[in-house]
Amino acid sequence: MNKNLEKLSSLYDGELSHHEMQEILKEMDSDKNLRNTFHRFGVISELVQKHSDQQNSKTISLRNYYRKINPVIINMATAAATVFLTLIVLYQFDEDRFQVDRETSLQLSSAISSDQAKLQLLNADQNIMEHMIQIMQSNQSNISQQVAKNWIPVGFSVDPKNPNQYSNGRNNLFFHLENKQLGIKQVKYFKANNNWIYLIPLKDGRLLTAYGDIPPSIADQMIQSIYQRN
Amino acid sequence: MGASNGDKMLIAEIKAGNEVAFEAIVLKYRPKLMSVLIGYTKSRDQAEEICQKTFMRVWQKIDTFKEESSLFTWIYRIGINLAKNEFASSFYKNSKITERLDQEQHDVPQYRSPEIELMAAESESKIMQFIQNLDEDTKTAFSLREIEGRSYDEIAKILDCPIGTVRSRIFRARQLILEFMNQENIFNE
Repeated sequence: MNKNLEKLSSLYDGELSHHEMQEILKEMDSDKNLRNTFHRFGVISELVQKHSDQQNSKTISLRNYYRKINPVIINMATAAATVFLTLIVLYQFDEDRFQVDRETSLQLSSAISSDQAKLQLLNADQNIMEHMIQIMQSNQSNISQQVAKNWIPVGFSVDPKNPNQYSNGRNNLFFHLENKQLGIKQVKYFKANNNWIYLIPLKDGRLLTAYGDIPPSIADQMIQSIYQRN
Repeated sequence: MGASNGDKMLIAEIKAGNEVAFEAIVLKYRPKLMSVLIGYTKSRDQAEEICQKTFMRVWQKIDTFKEESSLFTWIYRIGINLAKNEFASSFYKNSKITERLDQEQHDVPQYRSPEIELMAAESESKIMQFIQNLDEDTKTAFSLREIEGRSYDEIAKILDCPIGTVRSRIFRARQLILEFMNQENIFNE
């Protein structure tokens, strides 16, 4: 029985061989308990992913993991799928719109560890989620979007093959401009596996989305620069 | 990222008419889809209705799924499009719905699937506490899978252990959580 349940768990994770999958599907067909258990795996998964407090322990347990990896965006589709599965709202600024200065609300790095940091899943914020999935799945990577030069972090330069991609040789950054702000009034940023996504409402009513493997320590300066000159 | 290998196999089965494979997909993704739809519609009843329609559409249209996105992304898109259509068709009938569409969502509210809704908040906390108290190896493997969405192969590399161990640890976590939920009578509340 335990063997079947272990297979069921692997089926849930999509980690069975074809043969094993066929076997367990047959078992499921005739065993309502297995079907119930499979559903409960889904409930547990949803509960865990919904529960914001979980992030604290995850951050600790994954610290070593993040040290080992060298985050580079491989392609947009991967990033989009990553967003969908694991997008986590790490923090959203509560300051008044645009009333940001160097000393107060744009200390992204410290915000992560601050008591104010609220760890929330994004599932409920569908407009934003859709926006991010859309831009990361779109084929707009080759369309230049007139990104202002002063938005680009120091040390980054445009990729000749992709006018929306900037790199410092180690990290990559992409920009996307949207004419609507999706109700976003403060800078929000999200972490999706190796990548960070920054949603930056501009004074002119547009929304700048910057995404890539750029940590808050770099993005902090970039966002300050955008607000100072925007 | 396209559909995962596991989902690809289930999709192939569904395309071949295997209803159990389809049921597996429904069981797997229903809680997540319901959370999304409740968040979108703000109505559990409406979410239930759209959820049903979504999976009916999935069954009908699975042949058109090109596997360029993850399966849930595709299901999500169908669900959201159906929800939008529902809103559009009832736009003039119910002003409350238009308010829902117009309102800004600054608070990033949390919505829950009905299964989780049925749990008392206290039970939910207990479960999360129980997970926190799992042994480190089990908890880490489970977290990498459930929260990070890592494959077993990736987890094995990260934790420097065989894939079979990863599989066992993740299963053990789920088994322990289920046992705890049964002990606490959480599913029967």
